[in-house]
Amino acid sequence: MKWLDDMMEQGARGLARRSSRRSFMARLAVLIAGGAASVPLLPVARGSEHEPEIALDADPGDPTSCEYWRYCAVDGFLCACCGGTQSSCPPGTQMSPVTWIGTCRNPADDQDYIISYNDCCGKSACGACNCNRNEGDMPIYRPQLSNAYNWCLGTDSAFYNCSTSRVIGVARKS
Amino acid sequence: MSFSRAFATALLLAAGSAVADLPPDKMGEIGTLPETWPPHWIIAHDVSYSHIRDGKSFVLDLDADSIGQQFKGMVNSSFAANFVQATTRPELYLAETFYSRGTRGERLDVLTIYDKRTLAPLGEVILEANQRAFIIPQRNLMKLTGDESLILVYNFSPAMSVSIVDAVGRKSLGTLPTPGCAGIFPTGTRGFSALCGDGSLYTANLDKSGKVASSSRSDVFFDVQDDPLMEQPAWIDGRAYFPSYQGNVVPVDFSGDKPVIGEPWSLLDDDTAGWRPGGLVPTAEDANGRMYVTMHPEGGDGTHKDPGLEVWVFDPVKQERLARLPLQVPGLSIALTRDKEQSLLIVTTVEMKLDVYDAASGELRRTLDNFGQLTPIIVFGAR
Repeated sequence: MKWLDDMMEQGARGLARRSSRRSFMARLAVLIAGGAASVPLLPVARGSEHEPEIALDADPGDPTSCEYWRYCAVDGFLCACCGGTQSSCPPGTQMSPVTWIGTCRNPADDQDYIISYNDCCGKSACGACNCNRNEGDMPIYRPQLSNAYNWCLGTDSAFYNCSTSRVIGVARKS
Repeated sequence: MSFSRAFATALLLAAGSAVADLPPDKMGEIGTLPETWPPHWIIAHDVSYSHIRDGKSFVLDLDADSIGQQFKGMVNSSFAANFVQATTRPELYLAETFYSRGTRGERLDVLTIYDKRTLAPLGEVILEANQRAFIIPQRNLMKLTGDESLILVYNFSPAMSVSIVDAVGRKSLGTLPTPGCAGIFPTGTRGFSALCGDGSLYTANLDKSGKVASSSRSDVFFDVQDDPLMEQPAWIDGRAYFPSYQGNVVPVDFSGDKPVIGEPWSLLDDDTAGWRPGGLVPTAEDANGRMYVTMHPEGGDGTHKDPGLEVWVFDPVKQERLARLPLQVPGLSIALTRDKEQSLLIVTTVEMKLDVYDAASGELRRTLDNFGQLTPIIVFGAR
């Protein structure tokens, strides 16, 4: 995904960086109590607070946690929290064929995998488990690296619902 | 009504009232606004983050003390609309996207022309490309040309292009591909430039029918990897001052038909080495030629959209910092009113309220809240 969640998330992360965790959470609580403007912050806290359930298998981790290995470059609401999974869309949505790509290391086999972050589109924002970073984010003149855009392109509707993180294959050095 | 109360009422009626009766109110009265809006009015565009079909643009008076006096009216602004206002005629322009079944069905991109006096539509132009870019609203996605004859709307499909609209004749003039180049930076009388992915500028000068009369491409003038320019400059006297991720500024003079790229300079000094510009709308300008930038400390990779803890004020010609204005609440977006003497700085805070500061002293004048906003992330001073 992209852009939808950015605005509140940046505020939250900026504050977190410059405050003690305790004061940040206190501030978050005030914002949540404060009304509608705080609504987008809730999934931010929920997504990042979730304790990963590490499973000793080939695809370890909790797909509803922002810490899950495939989410190294994800930006949006996690489909695993929205009625889909880490690789499938929620019912009634449509998967965007146009994606951006990340390379994430799987802790199970210590190999780098190419991950395709296909958006699920056609309904408005799911709102749960926001997982969002700006590391490596570039301005709009480098769209393939810009999270300011909504990437629901090539779908029947441009409305963004959530993001998947599909394994495409092992990244091999040529 | 009891007998005794009815009796008392009858006595009062018979005696005659000392106060005149209220006259009946007229039916169907509708408010209007002046043709030229006062300098301390703003348009606060609320993208309505979690309900973007119902975005709104509020017209607010920063000098008023109560919500009844502050709130002047609103226009709808659906699906991350683009907004621009004319200065030579009392018109506002909004580019919106609609689906025939709300979130699904047929897509329709429409540019609507609003009358500033009535906030009612005067007309509309269908944007035939149907590819309006959906981006967190910023100032350079839809612009009027220098002569205000054309409106230009940035598209992304993901092919990049610009829709061209005759603002006076209210008709579409077509779509111009701008491969690899994004945003709209008005150039000369009737042209625009766009920032390109290789670190150069594409420029097209248009004739009255919206056709390309001439075009050019600049040399690469910044490093898109190590110190990319933010696509949101401050605009002063036809010059754009682009801040970079690392805290430098590149001035570009767009007043002629061909942009003139100036020498970069730094927003920072030895005492502020770790500070960086950041936010959603991180730059603004006032009528006195000053540039305003939201700044945060401890900047680094990924902090370029972090809220500012301070707003720094610069004379961009002398390349001097004039002031550091600490913010009471960190700010994501800034704007200024158009007046020279009592200029006000409006900050969209992380709490999604509007803090209004005296731009000269940095004193917090008031906070606007509870005007129906959800995420008012871009503000425009009335022009």
